[in-house]
Amino acid sequence: MPAVSFHHKMKDILCMVVMVGVATIIGYVFRTFRFPETNIVVVYILSVILTARLTDGYVCGIAATVLSTCAFNIFFTSPYYTLSVDDPTYLITFSIMAATSVITSALTSKEKQMTADAVRKEQESGTLYYLTSHLADADSINSIASITVSSISTIMECKAACLCFDEKGMPERTFIQQKNEHEQIRRSVKDPDALVHRIENLRTDYDEGDEFYDWPIYGSESILGVVRIPKERASSLNEQQKRLLHSMIECVSLAMDRLRVMQEKIRSQEEANQERYRGNLLRAISHDLRTPLAGIMGTSEMIMDMSEQNEPRYELAQGIYKDADWLRGLVENILSLTRLQDGRLTLHKQMEPVEEVIGAALNVIAKRAPEREITVDIPDEIVMVPMDAGLIEQVLTNLLDNAIKHTQVQDEIIVAFRKDEQSGQAVFTVSDHGTGILDEDLPKIFEMFYTTKGSGPDARRGIGLGLAICESIIRAHGGTITASNQKKGTGAVFEFTLPLEESE
Amino acid sequence: MKHTEMILIVEDDAQIRNFIAYTLKQEGFPCQSASTAQNALVQLVSGQFDLVLLDLGLPDYDGMEVIHKVREWSQIPIIVVSARDMDSEKAAALDGGADDYLTKPFSATELMARIRVALRHSSRFHGVMEQTVYSVGGLSIDLEKHQVSLDGQRLHVTPMEYNLLSLFFRNMGKVLTTQYIIKEIYGPGYGNDTQALRALMAALRRKIEKSPAKPRYILTEIGVGYRLADE
Repeated sequence: MPAVSFHHKMKDILCMVVMVGVATIIGYVFRTFRFPETNIVVVYILSVILTARLTDGYVCGIAATVLSTCAFNIFFTSPYYTLSVDDPTYLITFSIMAATSVITSALTSKEKQMTADAVRKEQESGTLYYLTSHLADADSINSIASITVSSISTIMECKAACLCFDEKGMPERTFIQQKNEHEQIRRSVKDPDALVHRIENLRTDYDEGDEFYDWPIYGSESILGVVRIPKERASSLNEQQKRLLHSMIECVSLAMDRLRVMQEKIRSQEEANQERYRGNLLRAISHDLRTPLAGIMGTSEMIMDMSEQNEPRYELAQGIYKDADWLRGLVENILSLTRLQDGRLTLHKQMEPVEEVIGAALNVIAKRAPEREITVDIPDEIVMVPMDAGLIEQVLTNLLDNAIKHTQVQDEIIVAFRKDEQSGQAVFTVSDHGTGILDEDLPKIFEMFYTTKGSGPDARRGIGLGLAICESIIRAHGGTITASNQKKGTGAVFEFTLPLEESE
Repeated sequence: MKHTEMILIVEDDAQIRNFIAYTLKQEGFPCQSASTAQNALVQLVSGQFDLVLLDLGLPDYDGMEVIHKVREWSQIPIIVVSARDMDSEKAAALDGGADDYLTKPFSATELMARIRVALRHSSRFHGVMEQTVYSVGGLSIDLEKHQVSLDGQRLHVTPMEYNLLSLFFRNMGKVLTTQYIIKEIYGPGYGNDTQALRALMAALRRKIEKSPAKPRYILTEIGVGYRLADE
């Protein structure tokens, strides 16, 4: 870059010297023909204007003024070939000449500057327009990169390249480079990790590499890629070109960001569709299972009714009934799970009296296991807690069902509720004095499809959904659920909390 | 035990139809069956029935439409028997005029219990229109004297609590949706504010129930409404 500007300066100085020289020669010719001196002054002023017009900046114009004044003084005023003058009125001529030259050269330079600016701006906006209009049609990150590479290559007259980063902010393995006017090639990235490191820790606008200077493309969230300009071209870019490059990269980053957002949107929509489809399918299946199950249960009940209890037929029918009942439980759980997934956004929270929810759960349990007595321990006052009552009833029913499964008829089961004012939580507890929970099961007990390995051969098989459902429900309410064993004696304790205040 | 009440089973699944029919026959109820909504309506118009067991998922029309059509001319008890169990669907069926709702699968015992309640309710309605004293267990209400008593003792209740209790007694055994109760107690235009009703219910339960979490009289059907236990 310094070499270039030095070259430019030399050209400007030469231009100035030639102009003043030509003016001096014309002056001599004029004097030979005895033209008035005014003409010579005007010729000098013309030379200054031309110098200003043909050179960069103000410097040469002003230097030309000084040079012209001196030349006029030396060659055309007596005593000749010295800087001194005999007639003091020439001093006035010199100063007017100098002033006129300075002003006109300044005006000329300024006008020239403005024209150049206008041309440059037009070129820039044309380039940017071309780039953005092409980018608007791009349908992938790679086509954006390809358009970018060809635009920048044309404008900067070089073989520019572009390396895209993926969504995790890591570079792709290859980058696109312009090979010639019509062709682009893909080249592999050397040492991508080092490149990423350099780009991420960049303090300046660009990174100076061995082959390329790399300009990062910053997206709204991460680095989207780098624009690579070959080293020899990049080192000779002037400020305006850098500014233009910047604007172009800005356009590219907007286009890439927009594309990313669009892709993200499409993907999440697809996911939602799939989710809904799966939910609908599961629900339809479960739904259609209910009717035949009702038939199987009802018919086996009928056969039990028709048979004496000691008949083998009774036992067989009872087996059918029990299995169908187990299936019913499974279907109900799957239904709840799909409904819960659907309802992730539509948790129907209302202020509900705790006693009603517990009462409803007990009512359900009383139908399933009429022989069991369940103790209730709740405060006398009316406590209202924001919740989706249907779901909390289900949590209580599931926990009570579990308690019944793991206890004998005479074992006590307790449902308790208390308000913890300090933490602002409503605390529900379901505890029993049954077999309790194995230590190895405790950490995994709320995992979906986790079933204990510890139960005896007689134990009813579970599918590990009940507690997972409970946990999902409680979590959706912003509460927590924990499982532990009784501190004294055996038995399980399940405790869950719900916030007393609506969080939103 | 022979009964005279005729029951119509509207159900498209043959297995369930058979099982219900068998159960009813065992209990001594004469019954007929229909497998489509059209057929059910034809039978209902031409025959004398005392109760309908209605499946909502019928091949030709939705069961809800059958409820609406029947309610245009008849107050016959309708028990919905359905595989649908969304609270909103239950409430819609009950508000549409159904008397009770049973979710599949159900047991024969449960079905018979619901049928008995519905029949008793309707015969009381038709037979002794002038009945003014109702009672369930130890709880009784005298609609003429505006008195409530529990286990023989006079019970003091506020006018609102009295209204609520009398509403339940007049619809004994029937599930009343929250919407319906609010409309009856607070009047139409009160909207969908369930808070006041919840508080009123809690207060009433403290007077009539030994343990509000284990109600003996007024049972909660979460997401749907309340029911006064019949037995």
